[in-house]
Amino acid sequence: MKVDHSQPLEYSTEQNRLNILGFWVFLGAEIMLFGTLFTSYFTLVDRTGDGPTGAEIFEIFPVLMETFLLLTSSFVIGLGIHAMRLGKKKAMLTFFVITLLLGLGFLGFEIDEFMVYYHEGATLQTSAFTSMLFTTLGTHGAHVTLGFFWGLFIIIQVAKRGITPATANKSFIFSLYWHFLDVVWIFIFTFIYLEGMTRV
Amino acid sequence: MGYFAKFAVPHPSPAIYASMIAIVVTVFLIIFGLTYFKKWIYLWSEWITTVDHKKIGTMYLIAALLMLFRGGVDALMMRAQTAVPDNKLLDSQHYNEVFSAHGVIMIIFMAMPYIMAFMNIVVPLQIGARDVAFPRLNAVSFWLFFMGAMLFNISFVIGGSPDAGWTSYFPLADNEFSPSVGTNYYMIAIQIAGIGTLMTGINFITTILRMRAPGMTLMRMPMFTWSAFVTSIIIIFAFPVLTIALLMGTMDRLFETKFFAMTDGGMDMLWANLFWVWGHPEVYILILPAFGIFSEIIPTFSRRNIYGYKSMVISMVVISLYSFFVWTHHFFTMGQTAYVNSIFSITTMVIAVPTGIKIFNWLLTMWKGRIRFTVPMLYSIAFIPLFTIGGVTGVMLAMSAADYQYHNTMFLVAHFHNVIIPGVAFAVLAGSTYYWPKIFGFMLNERIGKWAFWFLTIGFSLAFFPMYITGLDGQARRMYTYSEASGYGLLNFVSFIGAAFMAISFVLIVYTIYYSIRHSPRHVGGDPWDARSLEWATHNPVPEYNFAIIPQVDSREPFWDAKYKRYELFKGDYKKIHMPNNSGVPFIMSALFFVFGFALVFSMWILAVISLIGIFICMAHRSFEIDHGHYISVEEIKETEVKMGGNHK
Amino acid sequence: MRELFPAKQVWGFVLSLALTAAALLVYFFNMSRATGMTIFIVTAFIQAFVQLVVFMHARETDDSKSIFATLYYAIFIALITVFGTLLCMIWGWKY
Ligand code: HEM
Ligand SMILES: [Cu+2]
Repeated sequence: MKVDHSQPLEYSTEQNRLNILGFWVFLGAEIMLFGTLFTSYFTLVDRTGDGPTGAEIFEIFPVLMETFLLLTSSFVIGLGIHAMRLGKKKAMLTFFVITLLLGLGFLGFEIDEFMVYYHEGATLQTSAFTSMLFTTLGTHGAHVTLGFFWGLFIIIQVAKRGITPATANKSFIFSLYWHFLDVVWIFIFTFIYLEGMTRV
Repeated sequence: MGYFAKFAVPHPSPAIYASMIAIVVTVFLIIFGLTYFKKWIYLWSEWITTVDHKKIGTMYLIAALLMLFRGGVDALMMRAQTAVPDNKLLDSQHYNEVFSAHGVIMIIFMAMPYIMAFMNIVVPLQIGARDVAFPRLNAVSFWLFFMGAMLFNISFVIGGSPDAGWTSYFPLADNEFSPSVGTNYYMIAIQIAGIGTLMTGINFITTILRMRAPGMTLMRMPMFTWSAFVTSIIIIFAFPVLTIALLMGTMDRLFETKFFAMTDGGMDMLWANLFWVWGHPEVYILILPAFGIFSEIIPTFSRRNIYGYKSMVISMVVISLYSFFVWTHHFFTMGQTAYVNSIFSITTMVIAVPTGIKIFNWLLTMWKGRIRFTVPMLYSIAFIPLFTIGGVTGVMLAMSAADYQYHNTMFLVAHFHNVIIPGVAFAVLAGSTYYWPKIFGFMLNERIGKWAFWFLTIGFSLAFFPMYITGLDGQARRMYTYSEASGYGLLNFVSFIGAAFMAISFVLIVYTIYYSIRHSPRHVGGDPWDARSLEWATHNPVPEYNFAIIPQVDSREPFWDAKYKRYELFKGDYKKIHMPNNSGVPFIMSALFFVFGFALVFSMWILAVISLIGIFICMAHRSFEIDHGHYISVEEIKETEVKMGGNHK
Repeated sequence: MRELFPAKQVWGFVLSLALTAAALLVYFFNMSRATGMTIFIVTAFIQAFVQLVVFMHARETDDSKSIFATLYYAIFIALITVFGTLLCMIWGWKY
């Protein structure tokens, strides 16, 4: 394994660079995945049947909390990567743990939000709109859940193996994933929640 | 017994029972054979766990040929049923099942893996690389495809085939109108294979962007590599759309969501829309690598470099974007305004232009070339006029007002077979013959191959040209029979003869393979066709490490220059070579995907959860695993090179 | 401690909070749909870009051309899909 020391560790071997580029390409596909969900959402948003509309069930407080938690976690994992580049393992791990805790908080709010919808009579089966809403939010939520476990594995590896070209690479790629989920959330926040709540 | 009732086939027939017996017998024979000849370990360590792009490609090739057989049998059954009016060979339900299976198998489980076979085998060699960027992921792609194909294929003996067409339009595909589990199989099997395809796309983009031999700039890449690159781009943007569409369809069927329902605000045509947002790019995913294969074969057998390299590349890149702008042409009759239809009519007609440019380039490549009429070249030459007819009828369909007449008639069926068979099928058959020595180290017999070619070409023309006429006369597609009075009888009978010719051609192709395995001379050298690009600069069959020394490139046809202009491709000495390790995890994980899919098809939730956990454990295992690969020593390389009759050093 | 909080990232975070707040204006104040939508689109896309450049280091490598090409391509096709679908299924729908 040739290690190029002029580069940050996560880029330092050829396989590392391949991994990072490959992951960016994967994110390109993810854009299209969420793009399709948004396409379908916009098509079905007014098709509420006998069920509630977005304006009737969305509430600003939990949504703001979710947004704040996810934005902050995205910032914190950025700090984690910065600490990793400085070679500060402890700081890095702390930031990563905080990131995951924030992610967990996000999931908590989201699950609670789903429960509330459920009790208000908006279920997966109520109307095309609610089916689509739950699927879009659920796909994002599933990504966060998966990310949580992935992040956990990476924390364990960094703790055990230290900051090596391999672990640095994985951590960096994980941070890309996490930031990307934040970007998707920004669009969900704006075009599903805010747009839904301000619609007349 | 009650529990097992759900696995019963809802519309059994003697043919299905016979297939069940045949499947059981075949499985038994395979197990027996493997045990008797003590091949289990060989199979596991050489094939199932392999991450070698050549072996993965070979497995794709074999799987594709098997699926070609299955899809071909379906086709014969359909043509036999419609050969004469009021025929009773198949009833309407079975006819529905057969054409649905035929379409899905031919597109998703035959054409796609066949294309993937060539991408896998050829691309790393053409760019002078040792493997793809993510060899392990490549194995995952293959096994996911394979498990998806198997899941789809067991549908007709366990629980019932899908019967809503390869497009599976809602509301027909909804629980109400398709109550059997068949459509669940459709949704889930394609989903699993599709995930594999998406990963292949990612893998090849990364490979082609970063692993080219020194000196090979983008504009020096061989045409096939370009086409694989552009196809991969289309894949990574088109397949996520299918993923979501299938997810929504699956949820509608399993969880009673309302996406495509007829009540509660559901919108059945949204399925058609999403399906074709993927579907149109998909036809380009198939045809571009086919173009790439022709672009390798035509210069080789014309002994000229490709004419208009730049315009070839540009037209492909344009197509990659443009293929996303035209999907609405598949449902002009859905009910949008003429204004919308006009927009998509125009975009559709425009996309024929870059395709036309390529046709002229091939013609001009052959112009003044010294043409050798080998089997691959015959396919390529026949492709040009036949495909052009298909393209022209495509432009006819593209005019939305006229399409109200053509839509869903046999005219449409004639169009797409007319582009897919001379385009994709000819290309992969030509490619198989051309690359056969590369893969297996011996040539296919040319004489039998030529017979197969003529049977196929004549059979194709007999089978599909009459459909243009019956279509214009109003014969609808997917009709299981017609009356004497309709007057379609004669032309449909001609189509049946054509289909029989094509079946003979398939038999001849299998026979060529068999004959050549037994009689063709081995040791054909590295370059049996006097070819031009890098994949021919190494031995046949290719050693594990591809190139003992990574080639240096300074033109578009480095291997040609090395042969005739004394250009030195391989500079320097042998060094030890780093190679990835084999792994059984891709296979195990994909097998779990199979179980997971099967559990979903029958709504067996406990099994689904267990297999899903298994899949996550495989991923976790991958995350924690430390795998540095292994090295091939200089001595070993020398030994292999000498054994292969090393043509350098 | 300070070196753990690089100014670039801190400012990026502040900026993204500010953009979120800007989008919220539409919620708290009455405005026309066109204005509201414009604000949404502008704030969402700027925020996405901030994430890309500040946090995801998309500019740092020599692959950054490929990376940006992929992203622009993806965004472009996603937009075509969104608007093309709306054109067929909603705006241009006769019945
Ligand atoms: C010259 C460029 C082409 C044009 C203008 C064109 C145009 C069209 C149009 C307008 C339709 C829809 C007709 C209808 O449903 O009424 C269609 C269907 C189709 N085309 Fe093409 N096409 C072209 C090339 C191709 C190629 C290269 C392929 C495949 C390799 C292909 C495969 C198909 C398939 C599979 C269908 C429809 C299948 C179905 O409905 O089941 N086409 N084409
Ligand atoms: Cu099309």
